[in-house]
Formats: sequence, C-alpha cells, structure tokens
Amino acid sequence: MTFDWSVVWQHRGILAAATGTTFLLTIATMAIAVPCAVVVAALRLYAAAPVRAAATGYVELFRNLPLILVVYWAFYVVPILTGVGLPPLATGLAALALNVTAYNAETFRAGINSIRRGQSEAALALGMSRVQVLRRIVLPQALRRILPVLASTWVSLFKDTSLVSVIAVGELAYASMQIRAQTFRVLEMLTAMAVIYWLLGYPQAKLVDWIQRRYAVTE
Amino acid sequence: MDFDFSVIADHWRFLGSGVLVTLALAGLSGIASLAAGFVAALVRLYGPRWARPAIVLYIDSMRAVPVLVVLVWTFFALPIVAGITLPPFWAALLGLTVHLAAYAAEIVRAGVESVRPGQTRAALALGMSRAQVVRRIVLPQAIVRMLPAFGSLLSVTIKDTAIASVIAVPELMRQSETVAGQSFQPIEVYTFAMLVYFVLLFPVTRGVDLAYRRVAHLGRS
Repeated sequence: MTFDWSVVWQHRGILAAATGTTFLLTIATMAIAVPCAVVVAALRLYAAAPVRAAATGYVELFRNLPLILVVYWAFYVVPILTGVGLPPLATGLAALALNVTAYNAETFRAGINSIRRGQSEAALALGMSRVQVLRRIVLPQALRRILPVLASTWVSLFKDTSLVSVIAVGELAYASMQIRAQTFRVLEMLTAMAVIYWLLGYPQAKLVDWIQRRYAVTE
Repeated sequence: MDFDFSVIADHWRFLGSGVLVTLALAGLSGIASLAAGFVAALVRLYGPRWARPAIVLYIDSMRAVPVLVVLVWTFFALPIVAGITLPPFWAALLGLTVHLAAYAAEIVRAGVESVRPGQTRAALALGMSRAQVVRRIVLPQAIVRMLPAFGSLLSVTIKDTAIASVIAVPELMRQSETVAGQSFQPIEVYTFAMLVYFVLLFPVTRGVDLAYRRVAHLGRS
C-alpha cells in the first residue's frame, strides 16, 4: 500500500473554495433561519388558534424528518411546484433553512416559556403593557438561555451542510468526494476531508462549551 | 400536475424492506452507542487518569465531524487501512455507533454530574466503596434524569440512519431513491418517505416525554 498525500495539496484551491462554500451555507442558513424562527415562535406563542396550529405543525414536521430527505425533496419538488429551476446551492440552502428554522423556533419558544409565569404576572400587576413585559422582563432573561442553544445549533448546522453534497452542491464533502472519484486516492481524500472538518469544527465545538459555561443559568 | 400514488402500492414490498432495515439499523446502533457511551463516560469520570484526555478528545472530535464523513470514511477508507471490507449495513452500524456513542457519553456524564456531590461524600462516609456509591446511589438517580436526552438521541439515531443511504445501505431513504429513479415519480415517493419517517419519529419523541413524566419523581433528590 502506498499513499500519495500530495493529491491533497494539488487540489488545495478546490478544497479552499469548497470550505468557503461550507461556511457560506452555514452563515446564510443561520441568517435566514433566525429571523424566520422568531416569526414562527411568535406565531406559536401569540397568534390565533389556527395560525398557532399551523406553526406548531411546521415545527413538529421538520423536527421529525431526516435532513437528507428534506434535501432530496426540495431538489425534486421545488422545481415542479414553483416551475422555477433553482441552482443546487439555492435548493440546499432552502432545505437547510427549513430545517434549522424549525429547530430555532422551538429554541425561542422554549426559552420564552422557561421564564416563570409569575414574573409576567407581577410585571402586568405593576402596570406594564404586554409589550413592555415581553421587552423588559421576559426577553432579557430568555435570550441568555437561548444563546447557548443557538450556538450548539450552529455547530450542528456546520456539520449538516455536508448533507447537501447529495444534490451536488460544491461544498467540502462534495468537492472531496469528487476529487476522490477523479484521482482514485480514496484514503487520502476521505482522510483529508475528515481532518479539514475536524480542524474547523473542533474549535467551534469548544467555543460552544465555553458559551454554555459562560451563560449557564442557575436557579 | 397529477400525482399518482399507486407507485407506492406497486413497490410496497421493496419500500417496506427499507423500513425494516431502517428500524434494525436504528435499534442496533441505538443499543450499541448507549452501551459504548456508558463505558466511555464512566471511564472518563472514574477511570485511570491517563484515559481521560483520550476520551475527551474522542468525544469532542465526534462533535466536530459530520456523520456523513464518519460513514463514508468507515465504508471506503477503513478497508484500505485495516484490510477488512465491511458490508454496507455493518459499516453503517459501526460508523453510527462510533459517532453517536460520543453524544451518549456526554448525556451520561451530564446525568452523573447532576447528582450532587454531597450524596457521594455521604455514601463514602457511610463506608461504601466507590463502586457501590456509583451503582447504588449515583446511577439509579442519574439514569432517570438521562431519559429525556436519550429519547432525543434515539430520534437523532433514526434520522441519522437516512444518511447511511450514501453508502448504499438498503434502508428507507435508499430504497426511496431507487424507486424514485426507476418510476420517475420523485414527488410521490419522497413525500411518502417523509410520511413514514414522521410516523416513525413523532411517537418516539412524544412517547419518551410521556414515559419520563411517569418516572421523573424517581430521579429527584
């Protein structure tokens, strides 16, 4: 068995670009998913019953589906339903955003619900409006609990972007496997892929641990 | 747009076998990762000092690398290094277990650490050995507290089995891809697969919550 690790260095340009795409997907998905999740969580908490049921249905549906299936589904269904053929990158982004929005919405809802009712009631009794209660009493405390969960969702999302490789989005997993197929350096490319993910993911996982310690809430 | 769901009825045997493989893979890797996670966490907490950094490195590495990468590496690269070729199902079982055991270990550690140290000290002061303290005092409370987290890990396990489709394990996702490709009816087939996964996963999350509510008092101290 001879290994030729130079294949990794020869394709450094493609790998660097693909790593950029991985980060782009992660950042863009979060940028879409956080505001959307705020809306969905608000609908679940404060909207009229039918809207609330629809929002709950959406969250429960996407939390109970494998992401890879959502990716395939978006790839085949979005063009047929909308009549517009999106490039794979946009389709992958849509699938990731649908998935992460559901998780984030649940995070926001749980964070807001975790603040004891007595506090809102006390604030209302003091004469605050409902909006004031939310802005001054509930949100400042809830955000502290939401941030660590969002951070670990970020790391999960960073890893889950690898799943859009199945619809040929040129991110790190797809690019590595393409180079593997072209050069037949299977072990070298797959190991390089794992190492790159590890180098990028490890500090993020450690940062999440730090955020969770920093924002730990003790009651 | 016309949808023709008879494609599901035509291939029900093929798709049904995929559901069975999904359940088998999820069940086996669930049990295996639970067992491995317990061992890893207990060694990390009570084992020899030199073993701890190795286990922490293993856990944090698995939290940093995607499941897809672990599965693909186990199936394609491991045979080159180790000289043994695993069939797809067993490669998926190995890869999923290695990945999920790290998460299980974190759950076990969090559960054990949630039992206040005063209890351990009291039990030691009463003359129990360390093993007795762990077995009689810490674990009975800790295991109950771990249940909700294990429930969500089980649902993660079922979802992750779908990723095994990339190494050609004939589970539901893979079988759906095949049927979708042959019948040219991807919408019907993938929508059906969504329905099946939802029906499999939703009761797991709900069932564990209900079960936990009945035993939660056993974990209080």
